[in-house]
Amino acid sequence: MIYVDKLRKEFKKTIKDPGLKGSIKSIFKPKTIKVIAVKDISFEVAEGEILGFIGPNGAGKSTVIKMLTGILTPTSGSCTINGKNPTENRRNYVREIGVVFGQRTQLWWDLPLRETYSVLKEIYEVPDDSYKKRMAFLNEVLDLDSFISSPVRTLSLGQRMRADIAASLLHSPKVLFLDEPTIGLDVVVKDNIRRAIEYINNQEKTTVILTTHDLEDIELLANRIVMIDKGTNVFDGSISELKTKYGQFRELYFETDSPNPVNILNYENHFNFKPDELNIKAEGKTVKLSFNSSIVPVSDMLSYTLGKINVSDISVKDADIEVIIRRMYKHGENL
Amino acid sequence: MKRKLKIYLPFINAGIQEVATYRVNWIFYMLGNALACFVSYFIWKAVYSSGGTDTMNGFTMSQMVVYIVLMFLTSTIIASDGAWVVGEEIRDGSIAMRLIKPVSYNATFLFQELGNKLPTEFALAIPMIFAVEVIRTTMSGEIQFSILGLLLYILSCIIAYLINFYFNICFGFIAFAIKYLWGANMMKNCIIGFLSGTVIPLAFLPDALEKLFLFLPFASLNYTPIMIYMGKYTGTELLYYLGLQIFWAFFFFALSKALWKAAVKRLSVQGG
Ligand SMILES: Nc1ncnc2c1ncn2[C@@H]1O[C@H](COP(=O)(O)OP(=O)(O)O)[C@@H](O)[C@H]1O
Ligand SMILES: [Mg+2]
Repeated sequence: MIYVDKLRKEFKKTIKDPGLKGSIKSIFKPKTIKVIAVKDISFEVAEGEILGFIGPNGAGKSTVIKMLTGILTPTSGSCTINGKNPTENRRNYVREIGVVFGQRTQLWWDLPLRETYSVLKEIYEVPDDSYKKRMAFLNEVLDLDSFISSPVRTLSLGQRMRADIAASLLHSPKVLFLDEPTIGLDVVVKDNIRRAIEYINNQEKTTVILTTHDLEDIELLANRIVMIDKGTNVFDGSISELKTKYGQFRELYFETDSPNPVNILNYENHFNFKPDELNIKAEGKTVKLSFNSSIVPVSDMLSYTLGKINVSDISVKDADIEVIIRRMYKHGENL
Repeated sequence: MKRKLKIYLPFINAGIQEVATYRVNWIFYMLGNALACFVSYFIWKAVYSSGGTDTMNGFTMSQMVVYIVLMFLTSTIIASDGAWVVGEEIRDGSIAMRLIKPVSYNATFLFQELGNKLPTEFALAIPMIFAVEVIRTTMSGEIQFSILGLLLYILSCIIAYLINFYFNICFGFIAFAIKYLWGANMMKNCIIGFLSGTVIPLAFLPDALEKLFLFLPFASLNYTPIMIYMGKYTGTELLYYLGLQIFWAFFFFALSKALWKAAVKRLSVQGG
């Protein structure tokens, strides 16, 4: 369905020396540096799949989405979606896709929301009866009724995002691209949007590519994840693969009255942890640490801790995906 | 054709709604123009009274007044924000939102701007034309209104608007390439003001300059429609200038398509 082959995007960035002299110089003789935002990324997405595209800020996620949706022309490499090249025949290609950028809107700022949809109906040539059915369906999934008569500029962020997603789905696209669709939203709206995406994917076998740095989105929605960092692919696989591969991490929580428990315990030296094998956060009485259980078994950690200080409450659990990924973000280049 | 219209008609509607929202902007814009019109009138009045002649370069003072009023009307009718809007959309990346739709980029602009302009144009044109005719009739003592002249003027204005629109789109793409929109736009407006006869009628220029400027696309913007309305172009001359206008409209239309192809490859949509 989607084939991405050694996709690369370089930007030229103009840099300016400080001060007035620098500004004047930059007008006449701008200095540019090359930024490689996406570095030969390859992956595939099957029909009907929800792919979670994750990575820290500045990893290159949005740049990949912009190339896949035909907004940016790749520096090299290729992408094929549905057998089509996005930049070759843009107007023809974009009929088959839906796009939402969480940080921008495709709705007409000054029009009542309802009219945005009738504009889109004409643009995508949706016949009257399918339009009616579609609007009823989208309204049911995304609950648009309460604000459909308001001008777009008066909508709240959550309403706007729901409206934007509905706009991207009006023409029943085969592929849906969502760039940070839950950014800045409260829990209730996030939940509504996630369910909508899941439902659409389920009902219509829409292929979805979703970028986010909210890992909950990924855990609840994605069948598969591709993680990128600094423009390169660092992981491609299912969430359970990720967990078994990098999931030897365990989390240990406890509460203690001892002052300065971290110094007393001094895990690093006692167990000879390397820096990326242990992560400690202490906050008031609570201490939260994650550690690599293949280096030190859980039982050893527990008995050492309990023997050293007075602990009032203690628990151990599997590291969740968030911890795993945080760790991968930090050491992306080593993986 | 009908289908095309159906696609782009909503953009006219969107444009109309925009104006409704920003009406105050428009009122100030018009007040500024009217003020410039008065300043221009007093300058020319001084020129004519110090010159001591009734006719200068074929213009009587009453024709000069008509010229000033028509200049005000025509510039408003053919005004296009394209350069600015394109530049801004490229700069802030909102151009992406047009790119993800199966529509022609330039056409969505054109229709949106038409929506912006149509209501105000009607509101302005009818009283202005009326004023021009009252001035002409009282100052010359005879009715000079010709329905054919008016229709030809409207036709010429439509072509002039298309020239201006596509010229500005081209300019926006070029300004984007040199990354210096604001200064370039100011300079462009000044130069065009001069080349299109907004500042002084081209007939007042030395012969060689007049001939050159008349051929350049900028005379096709303001000067040609006004000369047509004033009945200064007739017969083959009229056909020649209308033909020249059509030529420039096609020229900038084609150029905008070519520049768009080049620009879209170089886009670096930022943010998000
Ligand atoms: N238009 C641009 N010009 C220059 N650099 C850019 C541009 N767009 C993105 N970048 C750079 O490319 C990198 C990737 O950006 P982006 O794709 O937006 O990351 P993400 O969406 O993963 O946060 C960043 O370092 C960013 O600064
Ligand atoms: Mg991003």
